[in-house]
Amino acid sequence: MKGYRKYFGKKLAWFLITLVVAVILNFVLPRLMPADPVSAITGKMAQGMTDASAVQEIYKRYEEEFGTNKPMIEQFFIFVKNLFRGDLGTSFSQYPRKVSDIISSAIGWTIALQFPAIIVGWLLGNLLGALAAYIRKGFDKVLLPIALFLSNVPAFGMAVTLLVLFAVNLKIAPIGGGYAFDMIPNFSWRFIQSVIAHYQLPFWSIVLVSIGGQAVGMRSMSIYELNADYVKYARFLGIKDHKIVGYVFRNAMLPQVTGLALSIGTMIGGALVAEIIFSYPGLGSTMYSAVTAADYPLISATTLIITIMVLIVTFVLDIVYGFIDPRVKAAQFDA
Amino acid sequence: MKKILCMAIALMLALTAIGALAETTDLPRNETLYFAGQQWGSVNSWNIIGTNQNNSMTIAGNSGGYRTLMFETLYMYNFMNGELVGLLANDDYAWNDDMTALTLTIKDAAKWSDGTDVTGADVARTFDIGVQVGNNVGTGFKSYISSIEADGKKITINAAVNADGQPVNPLKVLDFLTGAPIAQAAWIDTVVERNNNDTVSILNDPGEDVVWSGPYTKFYADDQKVVLVRDDNYWGQDASMWGKLPVPKYIAHAIYADNPAGENALKAGEVDVCQQFIGNVQNLWLEDGLPISTYYEEAPYGVCLTMPTAWYNFNLPVLAENPALRKAIAMAVDYDTIIANAMTNQSPSFADVPRSLMNPTEGEQALYNHEEVADLQWAGMDIDGANALLDEAGLVDSDGDGFREYNGEKISLNACCPNGWTDWQASMEVVAAAGKNIGIEITTLYPEWDIYQTVFTNPNQTEYAIYMWSPDAAAPSNPWQRVNQFMGSEFVGVENNWSGNWGQYLNEEADALIKKIPVTTDTEELKKLYTELTKIYLTDVPSFSLMYRPSLFHAVNESVWTNFPTGDDGRNIPPADCTDGYGIAALYDLELVEG
Repeated sequence: MKGYRKYFGKKLAWFLITLVVAVILNFVLPRLMPADPVSAITGKMAQGMTDASAVQEIYKRYEEEFGTNKPMIEQFFIFVKNLFRGDLGTSFSQYPRKVSDIISSAIGWTIALQFPAIIVGWLLGNLLGALAAYIRKGFDKVLLPIALFLSNVPAFGMAVTLLVLFAVNLKIAPIGGGYAFDMIPNFSWRFIQSVIAHYQLPFWSIVLVSIGGQAVGMRSMSIYELNADYVKYARFLGIKDHKIVGYVFRNAMLPQVTGLALSIGTMIGGALVAEIIFSYPGLGSTMYSAVTAADYPLISATTLIITIMVLIVTFVLDIVYGFIDPRVKAAQFDA
Repeated sequence: MKKILCMAIALMLALTAIGALAETTDLPRNETLYFAGQQWGSVNSWNIIGTNQNNSMTIAGNSGGYRTLMFETLYMYNFMNGELVGLLANDDYAWNDDMTALTLTIKDAAKWSDGTDVTGADVARTFDIGVQVGNNVGTGFKSYISSIEADGKKITINAAVNADGQPVNPLKVLDFLTGAPIAQAAWIDTVVERNNNDTVSILNDPGEDVVWSGPYTKFYADDQKVVLVRDDNYWGQDASMWGKLPVPKYIAHAIYADNPAGENALKAGEVDVCQQFIGNVQNLWLEDGLPISTYYEEAPYGVCLTMPTAWYNFNLPVLAENPALRKAIAMAVDYDTIIANAMTNQSPSFADVPRSLMNPTEGEQALYNHEEVADLQWAGMDIDGANALLDEAGLVDSDGDGFREYNGEKISLNACCPNGWTDWQASMEVVAAAGKNIGIEITTLYPEWDIYQTVFTNPNQTEYAIYMWSPDAAAPSNPWQRVNQFMGSEFVGVENNWSGNWGQYLNEEADALIKKIPVTTDTEELKKLYTELTKIYLTDVPSFSLMYRPSLFHAVNESVWTNFPTGDDGRNIPPADCTDGYGIAALYDLELVEG
């Protein structure tokens, strides 16, 4: 147990160091862009104004309000101080909306879209990979190549294809949005149906491109495991086939679990394409519009969420791995 | 496992739905008019005296006139004929002799949503609070208006005067009439009080309790849409105004991620009025057979009010010191290709409407003497003429590399516009091709928007040589305002210059003429001034327009609603999306297709 505590402490220290570096990078990198967001806001406000000094006044006021006229180091300490109070700042592009307000209204949609899509894509992919490795035949010759072909279609290509095919041409799916254009959110069966209908295309556009990648990984791992010495030995001992398959897939699964965890960690970035093409509300499109508008506080907040999610996921993985795989535990404890 | 998965998905969906839960009903299709292309992103506030509400359906002014669905201006601008049509005010505005004071009266019937009268005091308070907190109305007009006096329903707007006692700019005072939404004085007092008179707090107040005077008010808003509902007590149903209520009960605008999403919704009949550029818009009815139409049945389909323009950077000596080079490039450009490709012919050609400082509307075209400037105009693709001009100016290729030199160095320029602005990018490619034809190296450069806007508004920048931006389109102060943007020196050296003269061109003679226009009322004299300015512009070529373009696009789907304004229906309602300036008159005439 002492060894485990040491291992845990070491991981935690690295976790904290990485977090600090990530927070600094999250703050600094957007601000290195050669773009001036205050100028963009001024431009929006100054439409139709011909008095140049009036426009200057607007610029100065926003500069003052956002604190962009202060040295970057001072801005950073204000950012960190606010972060400890849970204040992610005010958005530039959606001023005067709070960043936390923007994120809280978007994150539910992203999780509801991405989480099931990642899980379903992962399950279907692994199942297909395992069947392709074990049963071969049609799975290996037909289904796997199809899945591979689909996963090589870029995410935007898949989304656009589904949109044009099912929404524009066949008209059997809505063209975009989170719910019907003529509805106002309310807790009714009709509204839930509408949400589910609008969910289909973005959901499948994510699932379809992820199946192939998962399947091919699972297939190779399974084939490798099926030929391992312990399988041969088990067969030799006369252990039943389904029992052996159980061992095989458990071992083949390990790297796949890492993949799954990382996909969950990076789900916000992954949501970007589907959300934009289907005008689906969520953090992906929020992040995209923040980047195009040089909205530092919003960029920092969304990237910080991704960073923290990835860090937590990898941290948990490191810890859990120690438990589920004795080989890993042994190697890490020795180190 | 399967069960757990299904349950997880169902739970996620339910949670999302609950998260978005609000009070509610659906919007009957035959009572709702749907829009696209106006509202991007969710609404921030309803505070009419605040800033940056991102509430485009109710708080937005543009060159088509102010959007008066919820908040109203004194007058509505009609860019089809330049008229100011009384809204809150009677049609009786009048200047005194030296144009230092403008008087007008508020309509007797005009009322706020709380039933109280709209008075002159509301107008005066709107202006005063604007100046105090520095919102758009205050900042935009305080240089031109010194004060507003109210006496019951009567208002006197005192123009700001210069050292000679002359009004600074009477045209901008007229802009106030059509561009300043009026807020209720009592409500302003409430906002000031609850924010302890703190400027930033007043500007950021969400204004949920705002009092309005227009025909619609807020109904629902979230990240995906904004919906307005008709106020059936609207004062404008009085005979002195519209005599009836606007037809649609709801005005709704879904928030689309981008133009293609809005266009798809228009095609699908989920949008009735679309304010977006649609390439080859005629194909929607000619090829796809959709019930979609535009203001004019034939090209250019809309009313072009502005001219996207390529500006020369006068910080670069090669451009500042060589008018021949500036003119040669402009002469060599193939504008017909730009208009056909970038605008899909939704612009008249420069052969149809020869280039000047004016937009193609009849009103503006009548403001200069066409014959006097005919020799100076060009319609493009004049490669021989451009080459001759360059040779004559001594800009020749002396080292045989195919490119001309200036002061011993190859002339090498870039042509820039924001990345993703595809019609502009297509135009810049044509400009680059023109350079190749006349021995000038022009390469294209498409930075991201946030970088582009930072650079081109910097008065000292030397990174972009030729770059695009549009001058003002239509307002009572145009074409003066646009001419000032093309050549006025007041913008030279101004940091964060969003106002005009983006190339930093200086010409004292032009400046003097520009200053005379706002105080000139004699039509002949005005024509002379504009003609002189056009001559200077076409000779010096500080910039060159690449196309004409509507400032608002106006495509309508008539599967649910019909009787939208068209160019030949005799109603003279501008194609301003049924919402802006006098364009809102369209809402009162709409009919259901299946009545």
